[in-house]
Amino acid sequence: MTKIQRPKSISIITIIAIVLVLLAFPMLFMPSIKKMGDFVPLILGVIITLQFISLIGIWHMKKWGVLLFIIIFCARVVTFIFLDIYTFRFYFNIFYSLLFLFFFIAHYRKMDSNL
Amino acid sequence: MVIVLLKESILFAWNALIANKLRTFLSLLGITIGIFAIITVFTIVDSLERNVRGSVQSLGDNVVYIMKWPWTFGPDYPWWKYMNRPVPSYHEMTDLQRKTKSIDAIGFQIGARKTLKHLNNTIENAIVSGWSYGYGQVKSFELTDGRYFREDEAEGGYNVVILGNTLAEGLFPNHEYPIGKTIKVAGRNCKVIGILKKEGESMLGNTMDNQAIIPYHFAKLFIDVKSENGDPFIAAKAKSGVTNEQLKDELTGIMRGIRGLKPLADDNFALNETNLLSKNFDGLFDNIGIAGAIIGGFSILVGGFGIANIMFVSVRERTNLIGIQKSLGAKNYFILSQFLFEAVFLSLLGGIIGLLLIYLLTLVTDGVIDMDIILTRSNVILGLTISVLIGVISGFIPAYSASQLDPVEAIRTN
Repeated sequence: MTKIQRPKSISIITIIAIVLVLLAFPMLFMPSIKKMGDFVPLILGVIITLQFISLIGIWHMKKWGVLLFIIIFCARVVTFIFLDIYTFRFYFNIFYSLLFLFFFIAHYRKMDSNL
Repeated sequence: MVIVLLKESILFAWNALIANKLRTFLSLLGITIGIFAIITVFTIVDSLERNVRGSVQSLGDNVVYIMKWPWTFGPDYPWWKYMNRPVPSYHEMTDLQRKTKSIDAIGFQIGARKTLKHLNNTIENAIVSGWSYGYGQVKSFELTDGRYFREDEAEGGYNVVILGNTLAEGLFPNHEYPIGKTIKVAGRNCKVIGILKKEGESMLGNTMDNQAIIPYHFAKLFIDVKSENGDPFIAAKAKSGVTNEQLKDELTGIMRGIRGLKPLADDNFALNETNLLSKNFDGLFDNIGIAGAIIGGFSILVGGFGIANIMFVSVRERTNLIGIQKSLGAKNYFILSQFLFEAVFLSLLGGIIGLLLIYLLTLVTDGVIDMDIILTRSNVILGLTISVLIGVISGFIPAYSASQLDPVEAIRTN
């Protein structure tokens, strides 16, 4: 099994992204999120978890990681719009996600298509 | 096919957990403590919030209170100005009643601590509240027995009393029927005409269980109505369709007229609303919730690290087995799901134990403190959600690395 060499830029960005995702996890416990509905923490939690998984995939230079990242990015934007969350965190989220996506897509061809 | 594989991977995970009972117990302990910490905080905060909101609601959410002091003020409030304000009076209430168009009901209340006596049973420092007849239509309360005083009893200052539940139990301890009996209120004979329904403890301390309600015109015989000690106030309930803001505007104009205030003079009375209290409590409960989330979040994080660590050990231990499974045709996702299910199982089990402990705690506290602490559905969902997600997050990296192992190298591993 040949291992694809991971570029340094991907390593740095993935570490930053994982830290940001893990920091977003306590958001689930925030009273403001809880007040939106019983299942809102569940939906946001699934999004955060899947984003974490996508980043692990990208760390291992897997194409499914980038594809999952794009799907979760879209799902997150739709969910935030649906829940009417237009906070600074929402715009910041879109900004850094697009920035990361740019790097991931730039290296997409070098990535492994296997699971 | 997929279901069969999932079933198999669940069985593998279950067997691994059963085989290492002590390790399983220790690793799920972290999640149990984390879930216990975070959901206990949320359960207590929710229960306190429910209690406070119930107390605020009993004051009425469309009621404006005219008082000497405001309920809320900033750090630089001019207290020396408030000190010189006159207290609201019964006559101001009758003037307001005559002049306003926006009110559905209006009432006046004054209170004092007095001694109640029935035969050998004495209750000292009981709260005796003098109500105008109209206050009974503003304040929400329920009677278990008897009735509220009639208008002629209120206006005529009849010596009748409605007892709070605790007072009734104290004065009539041997299941005597209190209605129609005569008790002494501040040394004066008074006929019991009603018993209030038990309310229980209130966070705002406004329970009516230890109050005796008498007509205002009777109360003024032994309570100084001009004194601030009796905390006199006027309460006005808005008509349906009239907002509190509209009611406040009207009351301000009329009160200023009654007190003869010049156009540039400040109001010498405060208009208080229950939603002011609610807003203050909203901020307080949000802050407690955030503090709880941070403390609980760290506990969960520690629990998650524990599970990730145990899963790495588990993968290391079973590397040989993974190699054999792969060489026999097991797919990567089968190996991945096997370890992932194990992590999720561990975490979920820890979460369920944490939730059960909280449930037991609510049952234990039920008889100890006079407040309902309820483990709500939303907190159960949150607890289970966090458990599963922490299981996935902490178990994915070990599970994925296990699924990526080379079968030949894995079999060779001792």
